[in-house]
Amino acid sequence: MAEIKVSNFEFYYPEATNPALKNINMSVEDGDFVVICGKSGSGKTSLLRQFKPVLAPFGKTAGEIRINGKLISTLSQREQSEKIGYVLQNPDNQIVTDKVWHELAFGLESLGYDSSTIRLRVAEMASYFGIQRWFNKSVNELSGGQKQLLNLASIMAMHPEVLILDEPTSQLDPIAASDFIETIRKINRDLGTIIIMTEHRLEDVIPAADKVFVMDQGCIIANGPPTEIGQKLKSDQHEMFLSMPTPMQIYAGVESVLPCPLTVREGRKWISKVVDRPDQIEIIAEKEPNKETEIAIEMKDVWFRYERTEPDVVKDLNLKVEKGIFYCIVGGNGTGKTTTISLISRLNKPYRGKVSIFNKAVQKYSGTELFDECLGVLPQNPQSLFIGKTVEYELLEALGKKKKNKAEATEPLEVIKKMAAVLEIDHLMKQHPYDLSGGEQQRLALAKIMLLKPRILLLDEPTKGLDNHFKQDFGTLLKRLQQHGMTILMVSHDIEFCAQFGDRCGLFFEGSIVSSNTPRAFFSGNSFYTTAANRMTRHLFNNAITVKDVIQCYQMNR
Amino acid sequence: MEDEFSGFHPVINFLYFLFVLIVSMFFTHPVILAIMLFSGMVYSTYLNGWKKTLKFNFLFMLPMLVIVALINPMFNHAGVTILFYLDNGNPITLESIVYGVILAVMLMTVITWFSCYNRIMTSDKFIYLFGRVIPALSLILSMVLRLVPKFKAQLKVITDGQKCIGRDPGSGNIIQRAKNGIHILSIMITWSLENAIDTADSMKARGYGLKGRSAFSIYRFDKRDGGIMALMLMLAMLFAYGIYMGNGFAQYNPVIVINGLSPLTLSSLITFGSALVFAWLPLLINIYYRLKWKYFMRMLSEQKAVSKLHVNRKEALAIDRNC
Repeated sequence: MAEIKVSNFEFYYPEATNPALKNINMSVEDGDFVVICGKSGSGKTSLLRQFKPVLAPFGKTAGEIRINGKLISTLSQREQSEKIGYVLQNPDNQIVTDKVWHELAFGLESLGYDSSTIRLRVAEMASYFGIQRWFNKSVNELSGGQKQLLNLASIMAMHPEVLILDEPTSQLDPIAASDFIETIRKINRDLGTIIIMTEHRLEDVIPAADKVFVMDQGCIIANGPPTEIGQKLKSDQHEMFLSMPTPMQIYAGVESVLPCPLTVREGRKWISKVVDRPDQIEIIAEKEPNKETEIAIEMKDVWFRYERTEPDVVKDLNLKVEKGIFYCIVGGNGTGKTTTISLISRLNKPYRGKVSIFNKAVQKYSGTELFDECLGVLPQNPQSLFIGKTVEYELLEALGKKKKNKAEATEPLEVIKKMAAVLEIDHLMKQHPYDLSGGEQQRLALAKIMLLKPRILLLDEPTKGLDNHFKQDFGTLLKRLQQHGMTILMVSHDIEFCAQFGDRCGLFFEGSIVSSNTPRAFFSGNSFYTTAANRMTRHLFNNAITVKDVIQCYQMNR
Repeated sequence: MEDEFSGFHPVINFLYFLFVLIVSMFFTHPVILAIMLFSGMVYSTYLNGWKKTLKFNFLFMLPMLVIVALINPMFNHAGVTILFYLDNGNPITLESIVYGVILAVMLMTVITWFSCYNRIMTSDKFIYLFGRVIPALSLILSMVLRLVPKFKAQLKVITDGQKCIGRDPGSGNIIQRAKNGIHILSIMITWSLENAIDTADSMKARGYGLKGRSAFSIYRFDKRDGGIMALMLMLAMLFAYGIYMGNGFAQYNPVIVINGLSPLTLSSLITFGSALVFAWLPLLINIYYRLKWKYFMRMLSEQKAVSKLHVNRKEALAIDRNC
């Protein structure tokens, strides 16, 4: 039996006068599934790390955390290693050794178990998590989802009583993420291990949770079972609602006394009760954005494969992106979406077909001409762009190359300040890029690219690892850029984001785009590959695809 | 190719290669060399497939053999049997040509054995063996092997990212290229240091640094390993005794003296034989297990046939009884 009690806990970072965590009270019982949610920077990670003293940041604390009645700070290192498991965000960085079996045994080796015990435990874990098939592989052959599963298994091998997970799925694609969360639920269900996790993909987690703690600015502002949280946040009109699953968001915008729905299934039942008139309601489709004659990106009969003997990754791809449009490519994993981006940005060359930008073949752009005031590419990991010690230096460095342009060279500081203001990072100018949060890093990377004044922006999974708040900000930002005439081509798994912000969506399958339309037509035409809001209300409302649409439909219906 | 020998304990694998490599490296006796070359070739063909081996031998080994064999007589003019004189007055001797050929064959033998070594002694076996000697080293080696492919992948990501903001380390003038290259290196270092914090956290979270760390391995030294070890020791001792008796002696300068061939005594036969058997051990093991497998399968099918017969008879009896 394990239980955790936190009473009046406070935490100050060194030399900080404001507490990073204040007045935290929690009680977690054996077998609880606890979800802690909140905006980035609300203190979730700081709190989680307090549960594992070896990982806790330095600083002053007040109040106490007790596990099984024992102060957590008095646990020996051996006890904490055994009893408290901690899974971090990045699947790649947590893996220490080169072989899967060795990684599984790592923790047990540290604890000094003998070979036969380790053999048994490792075998148990491999069987429970379905790792047998890749047990003898090298870790670098694994996919992201497999790596995170390996991290989880190597911690579970130590038989912890408490499992702490810090946004474990933020770097995974949606399918791998759902699988991973399902595995965690299974651990909780089968073994009764206490789960304490933070997560930004709340759709899968909230319905499984026993207790939800909502954090804001270092405080817990709401706690209780998920349905109660829904009601409470609704009555507070708190902005945290943006991060909640779609049914809960819709619930917040609709007057109802019924309990809060958590899943799409519950949401369907709930909305049928709330909307009593069964006639189908339609939202008037927006006009197609003005079709400009100029075409920004064109791909004609493009074929590509990485090796001669390998199968085609991109097959017979035809794509036209008009100038000034926000085009989203959605689709499953490994269908060649990222490869398509690399073809447009000339990192790879198709063996057949033609890629042209502004009616000029990419191969004909000389040297750096393509990236100079023409094409900007935001990499999946913004950190791969950062060189400088401060944000300011980082931006100046990006500008440095363009000194030829006299008008700007005179006032480079002015230019970067303006750019930073547009992207809302001007208050961070003196910080180190690595100290920024995920969303801020994303914006800094975007600012760096925007300083090269591109007319086309290519984005590869820009919303990966961002919470819903940053996503909203990021989406509006892209919209603003678009108003200035930017053409945007985005590859994403994030259907909700595409539905909300895109002008056109294309479904990528087997190396080419199988259908493409405006988001409304596109998503209301699909039955599986569509937004949660649409799946929840398609029996009542014809073409509502976002939370806003549903609420609007509901109000029209009254 | 499925290889039974690689399923043996790493110590066995390692000792085997240690022996064959030492013998091929230090003995110039033609019979011993021939045995080693032949066995190595057969084993590497078995492991790598005849296509690859043939290609390697013809495209790389043969030219090398010729070059090495030719180089020795050009610079080494010792020996009593002079064949002819070069233009500059230096003699070409039979002994130096023979010695050149021997050297070339030796080089070829060693390379062939190393191609087998690479297939059998995978990195985890190596780590396991040396982790026994220095436990910390085994973890470090394992971590290094983890980091190399990771860095490679990261480098690609960074280079691509830099290319996409027009900073290709492969274009522009030399200063620009160097600058771009240094940028990439700088990003790489910052990024990996940052990531290393995560790795350190993950190690700490799993109790790294606690006293009494053990080393787990998936290998177990079983009876079969013990048996083969004894056999290997016996053969090696026989061979060593033969060498001690002078059966492995060969000299090429100034006159060619080769022991143990004429007359071919029993003791020299045993010496060469033990080397041959030793070198063939993995192949013999493979053959043995293949035959055993076939035998088992046959037994199994016979048993099935027999039991079917039984069933048939019982059914017949039952029918009889019913009648």
